[in-house]
Amino acid sequence: MHSDSAELEIFKNLFHSVAEEMGAALRRSAFSPNIKERRDYSCAVFDRQGQVVAMGDHMPVHLGSMPRSVAVAIEALELAPGDIAMLNDPYAGGTHLPDITLVLPIFPIGVRKPLFYVANRAHHADIGGAQPASMGLSEEIYQEGFRIPPVCLARGGKIVPDVMALLLANVRTPREREGDLTAQIAACRLGERRLAELAAKHGIGKIRVYQEALQRYSARLMEEALARIPDGIYRSEDFLDDDGYSNQSLPLRVTIEIRGRLAKVDFAGSAPACRGNVNAVLAITQSAIFYVFRCLLGEDVPACAGLMAPIEIIAPKGSIVNAQPPSAVAAGNVETSQRIVDVLFRALAEALPSRIPAASSGTMSNLSFGGLSPRTAQPFAYYETIAGGMGARPSADGLNGVHTHMTNSLNTPIEALESAYPVRVRRYSLRDGSGGAGRFHGGDGIIREIEFLAEVRGSILSDRHRFPPYGLAGGKPGKAGKVELVLPTRRVLRLSSKISFAAPAGSVLRIETPGGGGWGTPRAQKRRRQT
Amino acid sequence: MRIAIDTGGTFTDCIVIRGSQIRVLKIFTSPDDPARAILEVIRSMVGANARHSLLILHGTTVGTNTLLERKGAKVALVTTAGFEDLIEIGRQNRPRLYDLNVQREPPIVSRVLRWGIRERIAPDGAILMKPSVSALRRLKQEIRHSGAEAIAICFLFSFANSANERAVAKALQTLGLALSVSHEILPEFREYERVSTVAINAYLAPRMGQYLARLENGAKRFFSSKTPSVRSTNPARPPLTFVMQSNGGVTSAARAIREPVRTILSGPAGGVVAARWLADLLGRKRVISFDMGGTSTDVCLLDGPARTTHETVLGGLSVAVPVLDVHSVGAGGGSLARLDAGGALRVGPESAGAMPGPICYGRGGVQPAVTDAHLLLGRLDSEYFLGGEFRLDLERTKRGFEYFLRAQPRAFRSQLNKLMTPLDLARGIIVVANATMEKALRVISIERGHDSREFSLICFGGAGGLHAVELARALGIRRVIVPQNPGAFSALGILLSDVVKDLSQSVLLSVPKETSHSAQRRRFFQQLEQRMQQLEQAGRAELRKDRFPAEKAQAQWRLDVRYVGQSYELLVPFTLAFVETFHQEHAKNYGYADSARPIEIVNLRLRLILPTAKPKIAPERRIPAADVRSAALAKKGVWFGRRLYRAGFYQREKLLPGTRLEGPAIVVEYSSTTIVPPDFVCGVDEYRNLVLTCHAQ
Repeated sequence: MHSDSAELEIFKNLFHSVAEEMGAALRRSAFSPNIKERRDYSCAVFDRQGQVVAMGDHMPVHLGSMPRSVAVAIEALELAPGDIAMLNDPYAGGTHLPDITLVLPIFPIGVRKPLFYVANRAHHADIGGAQPASMGLSEEIYQEGFRIPPVCLARGGKIVPDVMALLLANVRTPREREGDLTAQIAACRLGERRLAELAAKHGIGKIRVYQEALQRYSARLMEEALARIPDGIYRSEDFLDDDGYSNQSLPLRVTIEIRGRLAKVDFAGSAPACRGNVNAVLAITQSAIFYVFRCLLGEDVPACAGLMAPIEIIAPKGSIVNAQPPSAVAAGNVETSQRIVDVLFRALAEALPSRIPAASSGTMSNLSFGGLSPRTAQPFAYYETIAGGMGARPSADGLNGVHTHMTNSLNTPIEALESAYPVRVRRYSLRDGSGGAGRFHGGDGIIREIEFLAEVRGSILSDRHRFPPYGLAGGKPGKAGKVELVLPTRRVLRLSSKISFAAPAGSVLRIETPGGGGWGTPRAQKRRRQT
Repeated sequence: MRIAIDTGGTFTDCIVIRGSQIRVLKIFTSPDDPARAILEVIRSMVGANARHSLLILHGTTVGTNTLLERKGAKVALVTTAGFEDLIEIGRQNRPRLYDLNVQREPPIVSRVLRWGIRERIAPDGAILMKPSVSALRRLKQEIRHSGAEAIAICFLFSFANSANERAVAKALQTLGLALSVSHEILPEFREYERVSTVAINAYLAPRMGQYLARLENGAKRFFSSKTPSVRSTNPARPPLTFVMQSNGGVTSAARAIREPVRTILSGPAGGVVAARWLADLLGRKRVISFDMGGTSTDVCLLDGPARTTHETVLGGLSVAVPVLDVHSVGAGGGSLARLDAGGALRVGPESAGAMPGPICYGRGGVQPAVTDAHLLLGRLDSEYFLGGEFRLDLERTKRGFEYFLRAQPRAFRSQLNKLMTPLDLARGIIVVANATMEKALRVISIERGHDSREFSLICFGGAGGLHAVELARALGIRRVIVPQNPGAFSALGILLSDVVKDLSQSVLLSVPKETSHSAQRRRFFQQLEQRMQQLEQAGRAELRKDRFPAEKAQAQWRLDVRYVGQSYELLVPFTLAFVETFHQEHAKNYGYADSARPIEIVNLRLRLILPTAKPKIAPERRIPAADVRSAALAKKGVWFGRRLYRAGFYQREKLLPGTRLEGPAIVVEYSSTTIVPPDFVCGVDEYRNLVLTCHAQ
């Protein structure tokens, strides 16, 4: 059977809507603010080889890493109908420990091997470890929480109670974890039902044809995009401030070679893995590369494994972009991924000067805290990321106060936050003048002030305090980030970009996120724009 | 006398019912001043009947267009200090993930017109800080000199305690500007959605006020000139205007001026109301309304009364007032086809619009559109299109499709092997467009736990009849109903709409566990009931203020419920069994329920309804084996699947009740065409609806 243009379009959308529907069900029935409000999750459909055929437009940072989870689960476990694999080990298909991934094989009637897999990954609010919300400073993965290699969470359609009990005994908010996992399982089952319906309606033969056609189709799309980039070798570097333990900056270096319809991305010369947790496992690096090249496509297509086929990746083992056990990795997912994007775009700006934007805030400004709720006397753990300024584009200002590149999570409404946790938000505003000047301005970052009404232990994982987001084509950099803790005594402590701290009730944390870089030489005395 | 007027982008539809007679009039909209076309319509429809009191029911796009075109008022926004930028930050996400040129809609209130006031309410409603007198004095001064035309006020937690908002509103009242205050417009939690809704309300209020005043004055003038009899002992009442809201009910003009944000998604509402009415008339509980126009298709599932949603986004801005749960996709008759860089055939969301239109209009369109595909397949006939006023150019269309295929790169050869001829391309375009609409229908039915096979499809809008049958087949729907005057169906819905008032109140109350003391549970229910009653009293008072007979209104009590810790609620009726209902709904919607988990009530929702007397339309007698010869126009070649059939074309107006047309056949009327494939049969029922069913059943 051959594929044709009309049916290709139809199957592409059919697979994609299954992923989107799974995502909607998960979001609406989950309990972690990370999943339900911030939408830090991804759902995807895989073909019988474990290649992505469709991923919902959820979290770019999961793009390259979801396929790895499925590959590892297939390898490690004999998955039978009704089984669900669970994992979070960054060194076995995961990203960082709070991201728990479930994988479910789909066996249509009369088929012995799976025709599809579905997977979903969600960032849980706490996975144990040294700090509440499991996003604090750490030096090895053992400090970062409960590590789950591929195991069966369900067998033959039933949850394995021992596995669930073992997990719940190791986290701070077990009831919430259980609820989130139930929602994840339900979303997997939904995907299973839909794909089985598809197989019944269209026949297994046809499904196989279009699984393959989609991979070829997406590869072709990427080849077309690469062909439009001038051939050449493009190099650049950028830095992470530090690893939270020393003052040493950490370089990321990349060489991108474009030749015809192929690309090679090489990270030789990047820093070795560090003592702190800004180490990225290879899957994160792949995600960031996937994201950058997908932005160049100019077509709105579901993420498909074929898109990556024309791109070769070289990441030295044991470096900060391909960390090995037992390196700590909590911030690799959220911080290093952003810097990889920055360095890739900086290199590509030379090839495509009229398309590439200046650097965006380049950090997710992760804030986590927890303690005992004075109202319920129960432990609580909360995690959020704070937006920044978007880099200016070659034809437009950057947006103000918006999540960029590898994340697109929403804020938790203040009225929801204060109703659930002992905090009061004092300020949530744009950081005026933080965007870099230029012919086009970088977007402004954000100022967020949170008063703790109970004693908490908290952590900040952020970056761009020392190396501000770069401008391009003569544009100025955005303002660097800044964090302060105002104690009840009014004493002001300046905090570094990565820190774990204890704060007494009545203290106020003030976070200023970086602005985006400007693009183009600023005109003299350009009038400050009005929004 | 009731007259419904539905202003659309191109046409203004007007409908009047007298006895069982429906009169319809269609004229071009006057975009510069929609009131002009309306007054013209009223003049010609009402004529000598002006002595009777006149009720104008109006569906207007003034609010929608004012927002989308950004032509609203200069709004001063007053927020809690520190949160002035909330309206700009929104939910801090971007609308498209992989678009380096992504833009967000600029906020409707610019930075210089936002004021922060030092005040604070706690989540439990406690006042932590009151606005100071001096701050209020200064605020008033500054707003007075800012040139603002309207004011929006939104403080944190005002749904829990409105005292601070009321204090500020009181201080600013004397400025004489329209005030939109968040605890009045939308006393619900989630500050961004609330501030956005309230700011939009303020943004629209002055324009809506001017527009409706012009309309009412025009009607009044016209009316008084028709009733010169000063001596008349029984002078008729002046005409009244009601305005269609997004929730599927009408409200008074005065309320629409105060709360214009409730009208901005009323466009698709009329059709949904009419679909519900028609379904009831035919004794069908479950129907899906399917409205396919030139650029988009609106679908809505009706399993009983129409449902509303509170999560609408219009033009990139959040609108959290109740809106009929209509799902819209970018596929219509004008949707354009192209091959993307990977060789997949895309159809829509880009549309040819009215200018240049599809290739077959001959007005310069060169890219194949859905309408062109139907023409090539023989399903449209240029002689009958729009009553023959408009000739469709078949030759040009064929050449256009041939050119399109020749222009594709060789790389797609293998993909294109099934799209070699213009006919293949036409079939491909229809299949892809159908898939988009099928997805929309799945989203509202199967994905929400309904079995689509239990529903009938009510199909209207210009292009609906060309696609409805294939979609019904794909979803196992057994019956497609095409009402009379499908082009004026929305206007009919407006005419039939009840007066509806929606109220809500966030409460965030934990429900005591089943196991807890029964006295405690009883007390909880009593409290809940009391709060509902308070809300109902407030609602009735507002209806009275709008001069409605409030005591006759029916009240519906509902609750937004969720498990403690979730962020999305499910709406359930307030009965003693609401907890069980919630668990059932949760399982139906999300695939699981957990009766051991604590639940909470997020919002109380109240709806007050003053039913409108529905017209009694007498069924006509079915004539067994009615003669179709007088309706027959011609027999022509029409493609269904890969076969060419000779199909009869029939004129809809001449088909009598009791008619039975075997497919293949085509039914044409002024503004729409319905296809009957070979395995379908088309009947005409006693209300002159076309009813299409599959032979196999």
